[in-house]
Amino acid sequence: MSHLSEDRFDQLVSDERARDGAPLNAWETIARRAREEGLIRENRPERWSAGAPWMRAAAAVLILVGGIAIGRSTIGWPGEPGVSPAATNAARVATATPASFNNPEEAWATLDRASADYQSASAFLAATNSRAGAVMDSAAIYRARLAALEQLMTASETARENAPRDPVINQYYLAALGAREATAQQLGAVRPASLRLKGF
Amino acid sequence: MLIDQLELKRAIAGDERALRRLWLRHAPHIDAVVRRLCGDPELAADVSQEVWMQIFRALPSYRGDAQFGTWAHRIAVNRTLNALRKIRRIAKLEVDIEDDSALVEPDTDRTFIAESIEQAMTRLSPGARAVFVLHDIEGYTHGEIGAELGITPGGSKSQLFKARAKLRKLLAHLVDESTSVAGKAHVAPV
Repeated sequence: MSHLSEDRFDQLVSDERARDGAPLNAWETIARRAREEGLIRENRPERWSAGAPWMRAAAAVLILVGGIAIGRSTIGWPGEPGVSPAATNAARVATATPASFNNPEEAWATLDRASADYQSASAFLAATNSRAGAVMDSAAIYRARLAALEQLMTASETARENAPRDPVINQYYLAALGAREATAQQLGAVRPASLRLKGF
Repeated sequence: MLIDQLELKRAIAGDERALRRLWLRHAPHIDAVVRRLCGDPELAADVSQEVWMQIFRALPSYRGDAQFGTWAHRIAVNRTLNALRKIRRIAKLEVDIEDDSALVEPDTDRTFIAESIEQAMTRLSPGARAVFVLHDIEGYTHGEIGAELGITPGGSKSQLFKARAKLRKLLAHLVDESTSVAGKAHVAPV
């Protein structure tokens, strides 16, 4: 009986090496097993819950206050001459703080509006920045910030495991979460189109 | 990549979408090695489930010092070999590496015509198949294979030599096919 030549055989092996195939199972099968083992968690605890009033308040305030500072430093938007960015931000935050509200609903509505305004402004500035190319190495800055925020997230998540309902801990957690999402979004905006995130 | 790290954290936290994305990205390659090592498709599907559970369980231990695919691939190989050991499919290799199992030609081999190397591999003994897949397809060294299978590097080399010889024999008809195809291509139309 003859043999296939070494060269031809090596070529077949090389082809086989490069050949992947369809998964051996449907995702539903894998997911079912993972659920049984508790590797998939159906109800992610309280992370995005809008039910707790203090969570909504903390989220809105932190997104607004922290977001202004993060957004300004990230975008590289020019500050007023002779005034430090921190002082400018503090002054803006102070003047943006409303004096009083007639009732809780009014306060909630203001917070919700401010949160929505911040998100729109942030998206606009990120888009403007990427088109103008104002900050050439902004991607590196975003990446470094994202890495630092990841560490904050890890620390605050660990803290939440010990004190899941502590408002102070949750404020830190929400601040890190909001900033991370914003930074990831901004990083996506400055990356080349082929590398942009489709989802997050 | 940072985004992969974020994805990973979500997967570790039990986010189904993140886990599914990991699986979608890596299953074609991971499942391919399981399929090759197992030979039998049904067994491979079962083992693949175990492999993916082990990958998901081990996610918190992934430190990012290797590519995720490489790390997951190692788990797949270890888990598959363990599964094969449990059902004693490669036990013979470990206790009797000098056995010429790769060259045994049952009657059915004489009529078996492999259309692909994957098909031909199913005719190898489980141990010889493991050595061939790990070395020629997956790029393991004989030392690494020896460590995985509990055999000597020399034993691995010997088994590989026999496996390759048998595969070349099982695929011998491809010589005729390629020759005849090439020959036809040079025949001038009448």
